[in-house]
Amino acid sequence: MANETLDKAKVKEAVQRRKKETYTPVIPVQQFGFVHNNVDCIGCRACEIACKDKNGLAPGPRFRRVMYVEGGTYPDVYAYKVNMSCNHCAEPACLPTCPTGAIFKRVKDGIVDIDSSLCIGCRRCEAACPFGAPQFIPDQNIVSKCNMCVDEIDAGRKPYCVQACMMRVLDIGPIDQLRAGTYPTKAVAPHEKVVRQVKSMANPELTNPSIVFVPHSKGIVEDKGAK
Amino acid sequence: MSGQDWQDKLKSALKMDRRSFLKTTAVGSAAIAAGGLTLKPKEAQAFAYEPYPRDNDLTTVVTSCAHNCGSRHMLVAHKKGDVIVRLSTDDGRYQKGGEFGKDTFEEPQLRACLRGRSYRSRLYSQERLLYPMVRTGARGEGKFKRASWDAALDHVAGKMEELKSKYGPTALLDQSYAGASYGVLHKSDQIEGLLGRFLGMYGCRTSSWSVPSYEGTKFSSRITFGTIEDGNEDDTFAHAKLIIMWGWNPAYTFHGGNTFYYMRMAKQQGCKFVLVDPQYTDSASAYDAWWIPIRPNTDAAMMAGMVHHIFANNWQDQNFINKFTQGMDAGTMPDWAKDKENFRDYIFGKYDNTPKTPEWAAEICGVSADDIKKLAQLYATTKPAALKASWAPGRNAYGEQYNRMAAALQAMTGNIGILGGCAEGIGKAWHAEGVAYPYDEFANVFYESIKSDRWAHCVLNYPNVKREDIGLWPGGKAGDGVIPDIRGIFWQGSDWFNQLTNINKEIKAINKLDLVVCNDSTITPSGLYADVLLPVATHFERHDVALPWYKGHYYIHRPKVIEPLGESKTDFQIYTELAYRLGGEQFGKRYNPKANRDYFQHDDAVDNAYLQEWWEHKVMAHQHVEMSWEEFQKRGVYKFKLDRPHVAFQDNVEKGVPWPTASGKIEIFSGQLAQYDDWTKTAYGHEIPAIPKWIVPWEYLGDKEKTVKHPFHLISPHPRHRTHSIFNNVGWLRETYSQEVTINASDAKKLGIKTGDTVEVFNDRGKVVVPAYVTERCMPGVLVLHEGAWLDLDENGIDRSGNPDMLTLDEPSPAGSFAYNTVLANVQKTDLAHKPGWDQLSTARSHVFRRDL
Ligand code: SF4
Ligand code: SF4
Ligand code: SF4
Repeated sequence: MANETLDKAKVKEAVQRRKKETYTPVIPVQQFGFVHNNVDCIGCRACEIACKDKNGLAPGPRFRRVMYVEGGTYPDVYAYKVNMSCNHCAEPACLPTCPTGAIFKRVKDGIVDIDSSLCIGCRRCEAACPFGAPQFIPDQNIVSKCNMCVDEIDAGRKPYCVQACMMRVLDIGPIDQLRAGTYPTKAVAPHEKVVRQVKSMANPELTNPSIVFVPHSKGIVEDKGAK
Repeated sequence: MSGQDWQDKLKSALKMDRRSFLKTTAVGSAAIAAGGLTLKPKEAQAFAYEPYPRDNDLTTVVTSCAHNCGSRHMLVAHKKGDVIVRLSTDDGRYQKGGEFGKDTFEEPQLRACLRGRSYRSRLYSQERLLYPMVRTGARGEGKFKRASWDAALDHVAGKMEELKSKYGPTALLDQSYAGASYGVLHKSDQIEGLLGRFLGMYGCRTSSWSVPSYEGTKFSSRITFGTIEDGNEDDTFAHAKLIIMWGWNPAYTFHGGNTFYYMRMAKQQGCKFVLVDPQYTDSASAYDAWWIPIRPNTDAAMMAGMVHHIFANNWQDQNFINKFTQGMDAGTMPDWAKDKENFRDYIFGKYDNTPKTPEWAAEICGVSADDIKKLAQLYATTKPAALKASWAPGRNAYGEQYNRMAAALQAMTGNIGILGGCAEGIGKAWHAEGVAYPYDEFANVFYESIKSDRWAHCVLNYPNVKREDIGLWPGGKAGDGVIPDIRGIFWQGSDWFNQLTNINKEIKAINKLDLVVCNDSTITPSGLYADVLLPVATHFERHDVALPWYKGHYYIHRPKVIEPLGESKTDFQIYTELAYRLGGEQFGKRYNPKANRDYFQHDDAVDNAYLQEWWEHKVMAHQHVEMSWEEFQKRGVYKFKLDRPHVAFQDNVEKGVPWPTASGKIEIFSGQLAQYDDWTKTAYGHEIPAIPKWIVPWEYLGDKEKTVKHPFHLISPHPRHRTHSIFNNVGWLRETYSQEVTINASDAKKLGIKTGDTVEVFNDRGKVVVPAYVTERCMPGVLVLHEGAWLDLDENGIDRSGNPDMLTLDEPSPAGSFAYNTVLANVQKTDLAHKPGWDQLSTARSHVFRRDL
């Protein structure tokens, strides 16, 4: 099914322009990012549903994904959750792959978004992203993803998923402060430290994702440290 | 706001954003610095594709969710015209003195769960009932035709008259339940509901007295404490040093707006957590709990072992026992009952030569004696400690014994009436003013009343039914002991056909009835078996006030957010109109005193009058509230600040206030139960011992004979993605969680079952088809299948949805607890097909990953 609202001339022009361009990474004034507490999260997925409702998504695409991890052998078992949407990476892998230049990164806060009026549904960004963030929307033939609820951010509020979190374990903030532990957030308890990567997650060196976690003891990997 | 304004705003909002595709491949950024560019980059934009309505451009209306989940959270509708565009929740802005982000310990935000957040999908669903419908096919076949309100109501009224005159005042069975309840005005409920009052006044009503969720627990609280108000408000959990979650999964089932969150605070203060449950739940992982897997339906035995160990080591709070309990030991027995059994002597085996030692208990419950001892010591020596004895293990054969045993543990350790302790039980805490509609001498008139899960048995065997078989409540107005001649059923706020036990028996019974009426906002499995479907406005389409369930101290205003969809009406409108049709002005006016006949068309002023009267004469008059009705409506929420944390029985312990039992004590030995001589004349029908005892259930893993054929014990807890059966039709929720049977990894391996395989679960009562979830998180020998999937029978009567009530037994415990969790079954791989829903939506699980298995 085609994207019916697609303005073909506009896209053609964009592709032409794109071909002439090289990509220089945007260095945002301030990079916003997410923090999630893998242990205290009850896995209720209120955040996911709030996101789906906010973005009007049909069953299928999921901008936010609360992933369940479990292990051990009965009765010595463990479980935790890793919650991820788009990481609004410092060096987004998705962005340069886009043939029409639909993907852009805001200088103000580093939010990575897709202009769907330019998206042709080629799904290259979906393949490029190491975190599974871009979601194909079959009935519109476009790829869409989390934009950190820019409208809410611009209105001085926080994203829907963050505001939905029943346990107050999901938050956003300036990523450097979140990494340094200086940003006040209920997601992290006083004694807890955050990490850039947890087990089974793609190497953060790939794109420098703007997300930190309070890891479960079984989810800790050697932290290569923030750049 | 016009489109142009919107775009301007968008532009200014995004003005810092510069697309950074630089333009020349040849020279790159150096050329820009040199100013050698001609082609201006086109700017990509957020929401460039459509005029995306932002929250600030929409109308904001505060309301709440409305079902019987156990909690009550705020929903905030953002609407354009008469359409709800999206929903958000409490963000601290709406209460008095509120601001964005306000979220304090005393006034936490009331953040909605995933079900509430998905509400637009239910509101605007394909299953929504928009017009009255009359059945044209066979019951259950799903063939209906649209009817006018006039025709539908005339049909119902005509049938009611016919059945009442032919079969008398017990002919119509009231199966109203809390599914659409927890408003103060538009109530569906067994006792306080609109239907009960309507049928009672009409003079034809058999009511259903046992509560599916917690009848055993309720019995225990009433018998032991004399009240069901044994609960603390949820913030008190933050003060506990030890929380034992006994069959309790607060990550799934909520009581109070923020219990799970206060427990997180407790964890941060160093509180230790224990989970006694056949499953390692998400609560266990979030609170890092010590998991003690236990065989289902053996909880009372394990608790007896703990009691033994505490007494044997003299760790009990003897002072508390002497002051506040009756019958905990020989010394606290009342004089008139010195010759009766007391609890301590029972535990030590004086009456049956069986001391209830941890070793004895270990044999029954599958928990090692060491762990039983360790937990007993931990509980007896940590203060304050909250043993939260949840409802689920009470939904068992003799489930009431488990709750009574828990109350004995809570009392003997002195953890009652103190901050951070717990006497729950039922857990009803802060008292809300609950009823805004005329709740008078007609409110709960019944001519007979039966155990709710015995209606099918009664219908199928009438008149050869003994009163104890159906748990007849003494004193029905038709004459005590009259077996009701049930000929019709009314459902309101209730999908009980799908939710009661032993569905195959219900199917046989319903085909014998002459009238089945279903009021609901969506079609449900119960609706499929009805003769008349009356479309009911959802809580977004009627005026009401939401009150929290058993915990929580707040009210949320629920205005008519949008006009009722289609021709839907409120239950109150429907029964008022029926009253006028059946009994003219006299009945109509009596039933709904503030309304006239035109209420069916115009309900706004009347509903507001009831609510305003309730607010001013109950809330303002009794609860020290000064906020006017107008201001409350404007804000949308009223949060109470309590003078001190609400702890049940604090005054009893601190000030010596007697408990509302006959003895004024916590009755471990129940004087009331000890004095019955003919149990068949009680509602229970069968003997219940005067002290808590372990009684062998009719189906469990310890039964050597029955487990030969059915080696698994099936439990059916609440799912997190449905409220019982409500929300089963919401695609968002079904892609998030699927109906699946949980099975232990080693059991699955023996049967060759892998995660995702379709299996059949069966016993002599029925068969269901579901996918399997294979995990180490479940105790061997146990199957877990969540209740509430919408019945979907194939041509052989096999349920493809995976509804566990195809397998449950309609045999209630003496006290009335439904034995939902007392089920033996078997499981095997199958070629039969599973259907996750009535529509064709596939259930996507692409993002669930389970490593390390
Ligand atoms: S997470 Fe994926 S989609 Fe998001 S910015 Fe990074 S690479 Fe792009
Ligand atoms: S920030 Fe917004 S778009 Fe992104 S996951 Fe959260 S709710 Fe969804
Ligand atoms: S809402 Fe919060 S607690 Fe629930 S799944 Fe999302 S992050 Fe976890």
